[in-house]
Amino acid sequence: MEMLGLYPNWFEPVVGSGWVVGIISTIHVLASHTSVGAALFFAYLSVIAYRQNRPELLDYIKKYGLFLLIFSYVIGSITGPGIWFSTTVASPRGISALIHSFVWKWATEWVFFVIEVVGVYLLVYLAGKVNQRTHMRMAILFGIVSYATMLSIVGILSFMMGPGMEKWFETGGFLNGFYGANTFAHLAMRTTFMFTMTAVVGGIVAASIKDPIFKADMVRRLAILGIVSSMLGTLMLQWYLTTIPEQAHLVMQNRLPEYFKPAMISVLVGTAVYFLVTYIRPRMLSSALAGIMTILILIFGLWPEEVARESIRKPFVAGQYVYSNQVISRDVEGMNIQSEIPLIEEKGFLKTLAFLPDHLRDVTPDNVLEVGHALAVTTCSNCHSLTNTGIRPLQNYFGGNTDISAIKTYLKGALATGNTLYMPKIPLQDQEAEALAVYIANMTDKKVVEQYKTEKSAIVSQQNTAHKNEAMQGGQL
Amino acid sequence: MNLETLYALRDVAGVPSHPLIFLILGVLTFALHMLAVQVMLGAAGLTLWGALSQDEHKRRLANTMLRTAKVGVSVAVVLGVAPLLFVQVLYDPFWYTSNVLSAWWVIGFIILLTIGYLLMYVFYGKNHDLTQAKTQCPGSMIASIALLLVVGFIMHVLTQQMLSPEKWVEWYAPNGTLDPSGKGIHDFNLFRFGFFISMSLVSISAWLLAYRRYISQKKSTDQAYLSFVKNLASKLGLMGAVITIIFAAGWVLTLADNHANSIPTFFVFIGMLTVVGVALLPKLLKDTNSILTSYGVFGMAAVALILIAIARELFRWNILFGGFGYNPLEYTVNFDGYSTALFFATFILVGGTSLAYLLTIAWKAGQSEGVYTPSATVDGMGKLAVWTAGLWVIHWFAVGFWVWLT
Repeated sequence: MEMLGLYPNWFEPVVGSGWVVGIISTIHVLASHTSVGAALFFAYLSVIAYRQNRPELLDYIKKYGLFLLIFSYVIGSITGPGIWFSTTVASPRGISALIHSFVWKWATEWVFFVIEVVGVYLLVYLAGKVNQRTHMRMAILFGIVSYATMLSIVGILSFMMGPGMEKWFETGGFLNGFYGANTFAHLAMRTTFMFTMTAVVGGIVAASIKDPIFKADMVRRLAILGIVSSMLGTLMLQWYLTTIPEQAHLVMQNRLPEYFKPAMISVLVGTAVYFLVTYIRPRMLSSALAGIMTILILIFGLWPEEVARESIRKPFVAGQYVYSNQVISRDVEGMNIQSEIPLIEEKGFLKTLAFLPDHLRDVTPDNVLEVGHALAVTTCSNCHSLTNTGIRPLQNYFGGNTDISAIKTYLKGALATGNTLYMPKIPLQDQEAEALAVYIANMTDKKVVEQYKTEKSAIVSQQNTAHKNEAMQGGQL
Repeated sequence: MNLETLYALRDVAGVPSHPLIFLILGVLTFALHMLAVQVMLGAAGLTLWGALSQDEHKRRLANTMLRTAKVGVSVAVVLGVAPLLFVQVLYDPFWYTSNVLSAWWVIGFIILLTIGYLLMYVFYGKNHDLTQAKTQCPGSMIASIALLLVVGFIMHVLTQQMLSPEKWVEWYAPNGTLDPSGKGIHDFNLFRFGFFISMSLVSISAWLLAYRRYISQKKSTDQAYLSFVKNLASKLGLMGAVITIIFAAGWVLTLADNHANSIPTFFVFIGMLTVVGVALLPKLLKDTNSILTSYGVFGMAAVALILIAIARELFRWNILFGGFGYNPLEYTVNFDGYSTALFFATFILVGGTSLAYLLTIAWKAGQSEGVYTPSATVDGMGKLAVWTAGLWVIHWFAVGFWVWLT
């Protein structure tokens, strides 16, 4: 029997597995982008320190570096593989698709990570213990390899939205998957915003500088970096939006939460005002204020951005061929990938799921709710919470409807045919659609399943009686 | 779980190079990762041991070991990324299933590791110089070590669960009822876990010998402290070897029936022999501060771990191929020459030049009194490293624009 390559599912009932990934990713983006931006900023400062003989700049690098050791090299370096771990349990085939196409790029990035870790410790602990020229050279090397980590990952992140070049579907290959207009726009956007984060987080350290003249100098440098990068970042965001697939635009217009636009505008305006004020009045900057600004950017800037990026690539999770519910949705000739949709259309989910107990492979009135639950976990729970809380609760999409027949009609009409724009095609067999409909209706009213069983038992009983009567009549004849 | 299903779980994109390359890299990087983990755990243990003592030498050692442990966690984490990558490439059906079945523990791994590492920094923040001041907040270090052991145990569980595909459906749906909560821990072997943890004693003893040699090059280092480090390393090595052998024996004796025939006897034997060698070599050779009995012993500890990593891989191979017919070397190959060459070129050229430069600076600066000024040769290494890394970035854009525009 042919089987689907679907893994077991992890269902987290409170916030949903998607949000667990989102929380870890958002924290990682803040820590890692700050780190890369800071590495380039360190290189710039160390060149000035060397050329103008300003050792106090090295002190600042040391202080910011020490802060980064915890902020980026504890939290950032753990949440990095943490994203792998969380996506592994939330979307194993999504991460697997990225790993298998880009394993060498990730391995290349790992080389840079190793250099980066060695580099940051040396920059911090050897400041003042090696001559300035050597420190400058180490800072430049550190800056280049840190940026190389971003260059290594950005094409993989872009592939989540879709392959760089459309011809990848026909030709396959690393280069056509990695590079494309979206990759460069994405890089430009991340590069500019990473400097904004560097400037905000750098303020936490700059605020603690005792010498008022040096403090003003550093705060103003950071403010200029922040103003320029956030303005450029806004432009790069516009460029980025021109490179996403048309479908993503439709999802953006229709499915993004209402708070998304106001949140992004508020963050950009707020950031510009914050840097203008700190430029004009550098002495008023305190570590607490910079810390609060960092948290505000995390909550109102990065979190909506990560949620939006996750939402607008629906119904896919990677490469426009892996559905968010992990099913392979299309053929990719260049990689010898075959869609799983024909197999599901022919045999259904229940006959082809590897991790389904055998007694759930056929739907009966007694197991209908259990089967419905299994199907909901498999086909829906990656994007829809099966409880009242968490990400996009499933029952909210049916408006409290408990009409099994109506729900089944929707499932068969809109989902099984793939006619809903941002939803995967879910070709449920008739019995599967009915089981899922019972489960969805029962989420609103727990009596539904009992009524269903009673009705089904009555039908079966009537059928049995009819069969008996027919048999008796046959016997009399 | 039959072979057809295991193969169905494999990634449909295949792999971009021959699977054997990933297998070899997986083994080597796992050994490196474990070496870093063991040195870090050993250093953390010695930090606590010294910090809770009044003895001057113990406190001095604790002071250094705290810094070693702190950097050690970073190194262990970054080196751990590589075997984590390669296990996903070839053993994806096993790794992903095992992870999903214990999903909350996987998420817990991230949280507990972060807290454990931060607690180590808390201890460091409270105890910048253990040689001068009383120990503050030892609980943070105790909790840190405990959490690091817990995360090690979680990794052990995930690895162990990979080896029993025949139990997966029952673990996912106990008694036929689906349980997608990911809260369960389904399989572990405390002897196997204890084996890798107890080897920390052997690895840290080798590290101490190297450390002793390194600081002995400084004129200011006193002989009494050097003797203390040597004696301690000697004791830890012997004790570690004995405990590791006991755990290894326990691991072999407690294997499940269907795993018992999968032990790669030859590699286990020479691996353990090398562990014993690490413990005994400094005793057997008279000059205990030669390069051979210091850095050489640490190199030997690395070799021991490579041999054990090979044995571990063969053990997994024997179970999954012998028991289920799963052959990682039959993974579909969609060969990609560019990305394959890119990794090896980056590893050798950028990694080689950058690490050679940075580690040379670290080594020499550590042994210098006052401000270190590199020689012209070392400066040249620096220029080469910067240029090589810079050319890599230029190449990234050049190739990218070429692909995009053509």
